[in-house]
Amino acid sequence: MLQQMELVDGKVAPNGDLTGNVHVYVNPDEQERRYLVETLKIDEHTLVSALDPDELARLEIEPEHVAIIYKRPRNYSSADEFAFRIASTGLFLFADKLVIVVSDDMPVFQGKPFAKISSLSDLVLRKIYGSIFHFVEHLKVINAVSESLEDQIAASMQNKYLLNLFSLEKSLVYYLNAINSNAKLIERLKHAAPKIGFSAENLEFIDDMLIENSQCYEQAEIYSNILASMMDARVSIVSNNLNWLMKTLTIITIAIMLPTLVVSIFSMNVPFPGRDHPLTFWLIIALAGVSVATVRIVWRRKGW
Amino acid sequence: MSKRSATRQITVTHSPGLHARPCLAIVNTVRRFRSKVKIRTSEREADAGEILHVMSLGVPQGAEVTLSASGPDAEEALDALARLFSDNFGFSD
Repeated sequence: MLQQMELVDGKVAPNGDLTGNVHVYVNPDEQERRYLVETLKIDEHTLVSALDPDELARLEIEPEHVAIIYKRPRNYSSADEFAFRIASTGLFLFADKLVIVVSDDMPVFQGKPFAKISSLSDLVLRKIYGSIFHFVEHLKVINAVSESLEDQIAASMQNKYLLNLFSLEKSLVYYLNAINSNAKLIERLKHAAPKIGFSAENLEFIDDMLIENSQCYEQAEIYSNILASMMDARVSIVSNNLNWLMKTLTIITIAIMLPTLVVSIFSMNVPFPGRDHPLTFWLIIALAGVSVATVRIVWRRKGW
Repeated sequence: MSKRSATRQITVTHSPGLHARPCLAIVNTVRRFRSKVKIRTSEREADAGEILHVMSLGVPQGAEVTLSASGPDAEEALDALARLFSDNFGFSD
């Protein structure tokens, strides 16, 4: 699906008359792919990379355009079960237009980074900056989810929340890899600035991006380390909760078992002394009560 | 202190619906107030102050949700949430 847009007055706005200088292809079909490869001379492998979530971020300088593949967080859906995933985006910068190739339908120019854009090359950098910003925001969400899961685990005996934490841990590893991959791309953009035609302002912005990306990486690393190092402790908490439940059930079982034993002995179909005495029934009940009290006293003295 | 309750229906205009970041924005807004807020879709209901619950709702763009609050500042909590929804959670769509 093609969305035509135009960069006017520092903003990207939809343009329906097919003359826009920003073309967004959302999961391009066979015909659109043919146009991109045959008419715009985009390398087929690079085009496939732009749609492949496992592809690393990279920069290719072609005769007629610059191809940039960068990593971004994929928008979370409730079906993901707290697994945060990564997607790739392809930016193909031509002299007169920018072609953006994404795998999923999501707002492409949404949020703070897309105000006061000076040129198409500036827009390329804003897109990559937007991805860093997106990662930082997702890290905040991951931290909030992780805290919430910890609260649930403290009182839980189920594996569900632990599995959610494992998903978060795995997501952070993918995020670290993607952020690191973006860092290499930004470094390459800086070194290839004269070839791409970045201005002095663009270079300044690239330096800012490097710092922001590095901070984002450190934050993701801290969250990842915390999650990984505390995982064993959390598994123990769930196991301990289960042990406490088993202990309570055992107390209840023993407390019921002993009076049952007393009553059973006197229920045997054999004669025993005092069988016909009017107080025998109450004596048996008292013995059953004493057995429960004995269990309680021994339990308390032993500190079980 | 008197306990009040309020209800409001809101349509999610933000594209692509309530994904991770809007969910966190909702939870952070609800936690600023003392009232309990619930968010209900046509299928499910969730505690709007609990991120695990809100993220599990999976509300798409265009869906209608019912926000209900009970507590001393119920109206204020719903006003703040309504502003957040109408502001598309701070993303300029």
